[in-house]
Amino acid sequence: MNQTAQQVEQVIQQRYKAGFYTDIDSDRIRAGLDEEIVAMISAKKNEPEWLLEWRLKAFHHWQTMVGPNWAHLNLPPIDFQNIHYYAAPKQKDRPKSLDEVDPKLLETFDKLGVPLHERARLAGVAVDAVFDSVSVGTTFQKELKEAGVIFCSFSEAVQDHPDLVREYLGSVVPYTDNYFAALNSAVFSDGSFVYIPKDTRCPMELSTYFRINARDTGQFERTLIVAEPGSHVSYLEGCTAPMRDENQLHAAVVELVALEKAQIKYSTVQNWYPGDENGKGGIYNFVTKRGDCREDDSRISWTQVETGSAITWKYPSCVLRGDRSAGEFYSVALTHNHQQADTGTKMIHLGKNTTSKVISKGISAGKSNNSYRGLVRMAKRAHDARNYTQCDSLLIGKTCGAHTFPYIESANASAKIEHEATTSRIGEDQLFYCRSRGLDEEDAVAMIVDGFCKEVFKELPMEFAVEAKALLEISLEGAVG
Amino acid sequence: MSAILEQLAPESTLADDRYADIRRRAHQRLMQHGFPDLKTEAWKYTSLKLLEKRELSTASGDVVASPEALPFSADVIRFDGGLVDEAPTNLPAGVRLEPIDPVELVNLDYGDRAGAMAWLNLARFEQAWKLVIESVLDRPLVLAMTLPEGFSASVHPRLKIEVASGAEAVLIEQQRDHGEGLVNIVQDIELQRGARLRHVISRRNAGSVWVQRTRVSVAADADYRCCALELAGRLVRQDLAVHLLEDGANGEIDGVAFVDSRQHVDWHTAIDHEVGHTNSRESFRILADGSGVGVFNGRIHIQRGADDSHSDLNTANLLLSENARINTKPELEIYAEEVTASHGATIGQLEDSALFYLRSRGLPVDQAMALLKFGFAAAPLEQAQPAAVREWLNADLHSVL
Repeated sequence: MNQTAQQVEQVIQQRYKAGFYTDIDSDRIRAGLDEEIVAMISAKKNEPEWLLEWRLKAFHHWQTMVGPNWAHLNLPPIDFQNIHYYAAPKQKDRPKSLDEVDPKLLETFDKLGVPLHERARLAGVAVDAVFDSVSVGTTFQKELKEAGVIFCSFSEAVQDHPDLVREYLGSVVPYTDNYFAALNSAVFSDGSFVYIPKDTRCPMELSTYFRINARDTGQFERTLIVAEPGSHVSYLEGCTAPMRDENQLHAAVVELVALEKAQIKYSTVQNWYPGDENGKGGIYNFVTKRGDCREDDSRISWTQVETGSAITWKYPSCVLRGDRSAGEFYSVALTHNHQQADTGTKMIHLGKNTTSKVISKGISAGKSNNSYRGLVRMAKRAHDARNYTQCDSLLIGKTCGAHTFPYIESANASAKIEHEATTSRIGEDQLFYCRSRGLDEEDAVAMIVDGFCKEVFKELPMEFAVEAKALLEISLEGAVG
Repeated sequence: MSAILEQLAPESTLADDRYADIRRRAHQRLMQHGFPDLKTEAWKYTSLKLLEKRELSTASGDVVASPEALPFSADVIRFDGGLVDEAPTNLPAGVRLEPIDPVELVNLDYGDRAGAMAWLNLARFEQAWKLVIESVLDRPLVLAMTLPEGFSASVHPRLKIEVASGAEAVLIEQQRDHGEGLVNIVQDIELQRGARLRHVISRRNAGSVWVQRTRVSVAADADYRCCALELAGRLVRQDLAVHLLEDGANGEIDGVAFVDSRQHVDWHTAIDHEVGHTNSRESFRILADGSGVGVFNGRIHIQRGADDSHSDLNTANLLLSENARINTKPELEIYAEEVTASHGATIGQLEDSALFYLRSRGLPVDQAMALLKFGFAAAPLEQAQPAAVREWLNADLHSVL
């Protein structure tokens, strides 16, 4: 009996490998949200006066707002006073190098497969690791500095590059933007800051790994990427959390600024804890991501693989302001058990000859609901702008739902928009074909799903593509039969 | 109370007849919810603010105009300002027109503010009619409603159409407006087992605000096909919901709308597959010229358990001028597994190469453009039956383009 229970436990652990908890001393401020908490977070980070003022303005604005209810989600009310808005592993001072970082933390990230230690140099990816509310270390700082690239935690950026932060913070997603963006602006604790100087190609992939560890906390990070004219950067983001019975909130804001001829590629593999098979626990993932193609010929590309979270509410967007600027969005969203996802993109064409492409693949299994919600808007002066959107949904099982809500608005007579969407199940003929060649049903489904998502996976950097494929396979376990 | 409530929903002066309780209840609900604004999802692109400025009288009995002549033989029922002109005696065999029993209206529910116009209809209608079609009709049945110049009243016609088991009909709604009032129609169409209805809507409006809500329920093996030609108007809002209730039900919608300066057309369609083994298809096109605004919201809903349902929705739109706008939202909401559902949407303009082809063959630019527009717009009308009706629709379209 005991052995059976252990086996079950093992299987569950295997399904969500990142579900462990690191027992580490943490410094946590009291639960609740008021002006004092906002000031405490700001004080902990030793922030300048202007940033505290900005936070407080955001907080006051948030108090006047009500949460969004338009998404196709069944969202229980969130008690914002019951959340700890700041939790950080205890350390005297911020470590100067990774050698000074608590080995327990390094071990955690090692277990997650994040090449945090310099010895993982061969991986060739610079990582900023965020543990609960703080960044615990950033790798390859020296090499990046030589190239003129700034890649550091948001807190460091506020201290070391206040002018840059002040210029760009909130310039893409103002604190008035939406409910969760306002909340984030008031209480954000850390995140990553990237600055790529003019005509520079970032010498390596940049990556941030977000880990929620402490109980009853929320994670509110902010990422800001500024690409100066002619620069290029590829940025990866990954995230996990321990398995818990209660829900935890993750409300992030990501702002991208691409100036003339700059290119930003932003990839996400989102693997927050999705809750158990009865829908208990899991992360509420309410994220505002927006890129501003501020000047001519700039390009922003979003790629996301969403397998985790109990509830996802996320619409990475591109504001195509500069002439000939381009936006791309490639997404795979998989929901299983009781997961709910309402995700998609917004492509706002303002400049002339702007182009955008949206490829979205939704997979629903179990009792989950998966919605694509997208907006393509051609403004009056978006002459000769083009958009192509394709969103396909795959249903696995009789108890899930797949939905598509595209908003298409055109106010320019020379703009062209194409949108197509399909919803279908995995064909019996496809399954039969695979099974007659000796694959069992689960492998066959995994293979078909992999083919379904191929267009998106090919946009991911290689290491991430492998991880994403493996994640999908794990997430789909038990979806068939 | 908002300006629009004051304008549209003052205390009723209608007779204290057998519908009075129903009207009172509807009025209460309307006052409770109010009218939709641009924050109401279903009215996101269409504002009713225009109505605030209008002085609308409530008298409708004196609105009389003759319908346009039709180039084919048909049986015509005239609605004058929302009232059937007396009890028509010339109805074909197998067709009855009678007042609705109030019992049928007692439990109606139009939800919150998104359904305000339907609540308004229920609060203000004078007489609710039921049209029963019990046999296979050999020529089209026309519901003609013509509003003359100077029309400035608000009318709230309410009609239920029942197509009995095994009956077949071509039902044409010929709607012409030359006035500046408000027409707020609520229709319920019921197709019983094996019934077939070809529903043609031909509407050409001037300054009136025209709001029409049509709910169609389709029983087993019944076939509902709608073909609509919308030749604009100051403000037109059409809701058309088709509910496929039993095995073998089929629903199809084909439509085209043309909007020019100071015109606004909003079509909201919904096809609801409530059970499996049901099929639907929809194709809708909008041409927007001048400063016209065209809105299309097409929703396909396949409910849990409605396995083996098939649905396809297509919308294509032409933006013909710098100031025109098109907003379109093709939605899929799928809860069943063994289904195929797809939609496609495009917004674009006339192809330069096609224009060049026609001009190189000697056509002047205006004519070439008109020909291309006509080719684009006429495609959904191909589905109209019989041929005489199709030709009539084509001629109407031609006269506008």
